[in-house]
Amino acid sequence: MIINHPLLGPRDAAEFVYKGDVGLIDRPDGMSDDLDTFHDYAYLRDNPAGEHQELWYHEQGDRSWLVVTRSTLTHEITKVELARDVARARGRSS
Amino acid sequence: MVNHTLTPTPFLGGYDQSIGGIRIRERHDLGLISMAIPLGDDAKVKKALKAAYGVAEPSATKSTVKGDVRIIRSAVDQMLMLFPNDAPNPVPDVKSAMKDSVWVTDQSNTWVVLEVSGDTVRDALERLCPIDLHPDTFAKNASARTVMEHMGALIVRTGDNSFLLMSASSSAGSFLHAVETSAKYAS
Repeated sequence: MIINHPLLGPRDAAEFVYKGDVGLIDRPDGMSDDLDTFHDYAYLRDNPAGEHQELWYHEQGDRSWLVVTRSTLTHEITKVELARDVARARGRSS
Repeated sequence: MVNHTLTPTPFLGGYDQSIGGIRIRERHDLGLISMAIPLGDDAKVKKALKAAYGVAEPSATKSTVKGDVRIIRSAVDQMLMLFPNDAPNPVPDVKSAMKDSVWVTDQSNTWVVLEVSGDTVRDALERLCPIDLHPDTFAKNASARTVMEHMGALIVRTGDNSFLLMSASSSAGSFLHAVETSAKYAS
């Protein structure tokens, strides 16, 4: 599988580590949100047959985190973004 | 008290050999400095780099060179500087040259640097390196951080048939073995 890194171009998936559902970006506020919200954040995931947004870490590369949109049925990758851009767009990062 | 004199030894003992027309040479004469760019300070750092070393800021895939100094983009907000150095601690000089615009750490003893060159060097590297090294996609001064034989590595094209390979000094011997083996198979 090839991941088309937004800064570096096409790179072999072997350079990356899979880090899970993109929902991990949306961590609840530990000071104000309740335990159930945290429980759901930590343990509950959707399991879609089709388009899935997920985090990949370019460990054997430039150490960037990516948000990859991939079909779980075909493995086709339709979109690759820098996770920090996605997080910023959601107001999660400076 | 006895005065001991300690002599530093390169990781690979200054290895320099040719295998089937491919020369593999340890570049232990280079100092390595990592420069981390504070968030939002890109313009400031770009200016400081130009003033200090007369060199442009490298892009994600292409290093920049001025004389003996080469700057490589090693991560989104991080650069690696290679330069001739035999001083025990080059950090203060770099910090003041860069006017404290970047966070500086000495990486000279953490990476081993191999220079590989020869007409068939690409034949050897295609067995080792997952990056497409064709000159159309990986031109002179192109750089990439990748993995070779399960070891993290950095590759820079320095000429038509010459490259710098870098990997962790702690596994320098294994890395050299992988490069030697590829050179043997390519010859």
